[in-house]
Amino acid sequence: MSSTAVQAPIFPSFAQVFQGLVGQIGQLRQMAPTPTLPEATRVRRAIATLIAETNADEAVWLESCIRCGQCTSACHYFQATGDTKYAPLRKMNLYRRVYQREIGPFRWWYRLVTRPIGLKDLEALQELVYDSCSECGRCTMVCPMGIDIASLVHHQRSALVAAELVPPELAALQMEQKQRGTVFGASAEALHRMVDTIRERAGVAIPLDKARAEVMVLSSAVDLVGNGNGLLATARVMNHLGVDWTICSDGFESANFGLLSGDMALWKRQVDPIVAAAKRIGAKTLVIAECGHAYPALRWNPTLKGEDLPFEMMYMSEYLGRQAKAGRLRLRPLQGRVTYHDPCKTGRRGGAFDEPRAVLRAMQADFVELPANKEFNWCCGGGAGIFLLERTTRLRDESFKIKMRQVDMTGAEAVVVSCASCRLNFEAGRHKNQWNKRVESLVELVAAHLLDDAPQGAQSPIEEAAA
Amino acid sequence: MTLLDFARGPAIHWSLIIFAAGTIWRLLGVLILTRGADLSRPRDAFGNFKGYRTVFSRAWPSGEFTTATRYQTVMAYTFHIATLIVVIGIVPHIEFIKSLTGATWPGLPNAAGVAVGIIALVSLLALILRRVTKPAVYCSTWGDYFAWLVVAAPLVTGLMTFAHIGPRYETMLGLHILSAALLFAWFPFSKLMHAFWFVFSRAQSGLAYAHRGVRI
Repeated sequence: MSSTAVQAPIFPSFAQVFQGLVGQIGQLRQMAPTPTLPEATRVRRAIATLIAETNADEAVWLESCIRCGQCTSACHYFQATGDTKYAPLRKMNLYRRVYQREIGPFRWWYRLVTRPIGLKDLEALQELVYDSCSECGRCTMVCPMGIDIASLVHHQRSALVAAELVPPELAALQMEQKQRGTVFGASAEALHRMVDTIRERAGVAIPLDKARAEVMVLSSAVDLVGNGNGLLATARVMNHLGVDWTICSDGFESANFGLLSGDMALWKRQVDPIVAAAKRIGAKTLVIAECGHAYPALRWNPTLKGEDLPFEMMYMSEYLGRQAKAGRLRLRPLQGRVTYHDPCKTGRRGGAFDEPRAVLRAMQADFVELPANKEFNWCCGGGAGIFLLERTTRLRDESFKIKMRQVDMTGAEAVVVSCASCRLNFEAGRHKNQWNKRVESLVELVAAHLLDDAPQGAQSPIEEAAA
Repeated sequence: MTLLDFARGPAIHWSLIIFAAGTIWRLLGVLILTRGADLSRPRDAFGNFKGYRTVFSRAWPSGEFTTATRYQTVMAYTFHIATLIVVIGIVPHIEFIKSLTGATWPGLPNAAGVAVGIIALVSLLALILRRVTKPAVYCSTWGDYFAWLVVAAPLVTGLMTFAHIGPRYETMLGLHILSAALLFAWFPFSKLMHAFWFVFSRAQSGLAYAHRGVRI
């Protein structure tokens, strides 16, 4: 079993992709924008953002913490370091201070007894809401009050966007996506080039920019600038299924550095063209590439009214799972024992639990669950953009050891992931620890195990598969 | 006016007024805020209602966290239940409640009352001991310690009054009632409000996750 079933490798292996990407990430730091606004304005904007984003939900959560400390047992960054500053309950403190001074029912009192927020406070907040919280939500699983700390952290990221305090690597990508509409230079031209390469060298056709299609598939920057195998595998699987599919060059990017950085305006700006393209081509299904945060960015986007959308959005693992359940994926058996890592954004914070497991079952895999799985899964340590931040290296490395122990306990030879960000972080951890496990992408694994005598050409519409 | 008269009269009455008004003010101040709408299509059409289960299911930690939470969960439950039994179960409290509301019920034997009071106090001590010895985990504020003192004081003074320890009975009873008054008056401004928030907080998270098909 190899991660790609091509005879002669057309694209570099994921390990090589990872090495290349590390170099590119290094350059991001030099490209990061520097703050332009006066200090007082930045502070004012951060506070205004928090006020604007605080509804009753946030207020109740901020009011509810009793500092019982249970959340620390669930947080990989705290467990890996034992450092009190990474305790999840601390990650709400600044937000609570703003809330108590500006919105809370006793604000007149808190304005008397608490210090106003200054730029120093916001600078210190960076480490708590970017570096040491992957918004994985595991703390919510143990909190006796059920506080959704991850969402409170995300509001604080938005506040730091307003205060021009996004960490350099994320800020550079946020700026690139805002100004040029690309991530790592993954433009429409890059997509065209990749589609041509795949057609010429692998002999696999990708129907690009069809006027009408049942299924619209997204790609991601990681696939376009590095891991061509990802897009190749996707194309193989879609062609195998024989569905009427396309990729739209005016809406193909899954990655959303608006959501990752906390820039809500950019989030929307990235989502709109995808929705417009899907509507234009009459898509019934939008398949989101294996890019974890793209799932909440699109599928769980609270501003996209689900009832009004003429198409259904699903993650790659969900799509594959539904096809597998419907018996449309004809797969060779998978050799060796495997386990599955639920990406936080598609698992605990997304609910796509059954489908990836259905795919592994369809491959008759010797599948073992991680000791903590599904909604209790430990984060890989690199989610929510943390993989990109150089200064989080120690936190990532230490917390990844929890993940390694979990995988080791299963006795599996390979861990299957369905998120490019998790995969990169696993690859980094595997490399550093000379770990003897393979890390596989679900879609690439499926592509490598297709029984290719399946009929090509149009089959029944995809709604039936979903039904 | 003796200390006991003051405690039984204006102190306890005003503290109850502050308790009621403060609690209503704080609850309303939060609950009248608008709620953000999640327009995305739920995973199951009626799945969101399952989220309300979290209000009850979160009463006990999931097996995943048993080791980390066992001590605190057991002690916290012991404390809450023992305190409740003492508050509504011993004869002097029933007499007091009767004087306010007219309602009455049979009380516990004195020895049982003392025993349960001691259990409550010991579990409360066990909780603060853990908080003090693990500062990295609890990230305590002065409010945490003050709330502990405010809760411990009625238990300590109550047991002393009951057992005739310390100053003469009337003074001790006055101090006990004053400490209860402090508890009532401090309640709406402190984390003791979790007695109300937990319902809303758990329900919100339960609903938000159920929307995505996740049972928390």
